[in-house]
Amino acid sequence: MPFEALDPLLHSQLRLAVMSLLISVESADFVYIKEQTGATAGNLSVQIDKLSTAGYISVEKKFEGKKPKTTCKITKQGIDAFESYVKNIQQYLKP
Amino acid sequence: MEDKELSPQESLDLIQQMIGKARKRYTDNSYFFLLWGWIVMFASLFHYITAAYTSFEYPYAGWSLTIIGAVLSMIKGSKKSRQAQVRNYTDKLYGWLWASLGIAMFTIIFNGESIGWNTIPFILLLAGVGTSVSGAMMNFQPLRIGSIIFWLLALAAFRVDPTKQMLLMASGVAFGYLVPGYIMKSNAKKNAV
Repeated sequence: MPFEALDPLLHSQLRLAVMSLLISVESADFVYIKEQTGATAGNLSVQIDKLSTAGYISVEKKFEGKKPKTTCKITKQGIDAFESYVKNIQQYLKP
Repeated sequence: MEDKELSPQESLDLIQQMIGKARKRYTDNSYFFLLWGWIVMFASLFHYITAAYTSFEYPYAGWSLTIIGAVLSMIKGSKKSRQAQVRNYTDKLYGWLWASLGIAMFTIIFNGESIGWNTIPFILLLAGVGTSVSGAMMNFQPLRIGSIIFWLLALAAFRVDPTKQMLLMASGVAFGYLVPGYIMKSNAKKNAV
């Protein structure tokens, strides 16, 4: 059986880390994701934009008082993509 | 974290590691247990003492504090969820569980007349459901023990008059809300949540 190609959008360390965090919660703050992944704000911002453009996550930006608050949430499309990524990766790991 | 290419094994390890990080951490919900514990303790003892030993006309007056409790709980709950950096499904379920039980309890209390004011056995049963499910969700033994006490007191409450039921209510919140609430608070302090 030929192996399915891995989704290039998910097969990258930081984007996969963000998706794995978001799949387990309802929504998470940018600051929380930054803390948990240990990424720089600039890099994380770029990767979140990529995931959002692909429709894998939804991003809501609002102000709380004077502080900006960015909340990320995984979408249905993102869950499907994540699930098929995990399924495909298992093919590579089978003995 | 770099943005490097991963091997399949590294991918799986990373997924596992991040899911582990997002898993439920200890949540301090002691505020609600202590708030309701003290309100109900005061209202039920006030009710018992005035009804049993005085000619005071409105022994149930103390229960009006529950309205203040409901408002305070709503304010605290919405503030907590606004400030939270991450929203997980456990917190969401927890909020809905107690809000639904609150609606059920208020419905019983405000319609108490139609069941001859024998409301306490039902309130005790519902409080037992809340503490039992919360205990399971938070994996917190004192709440599970509290729920058993609530249910045993409910059995007794069906067998005594409405005034004496107030004493069972007060014992219920002492063991079911206040004891677990203080243990939760001290655990939260220890874990610096």
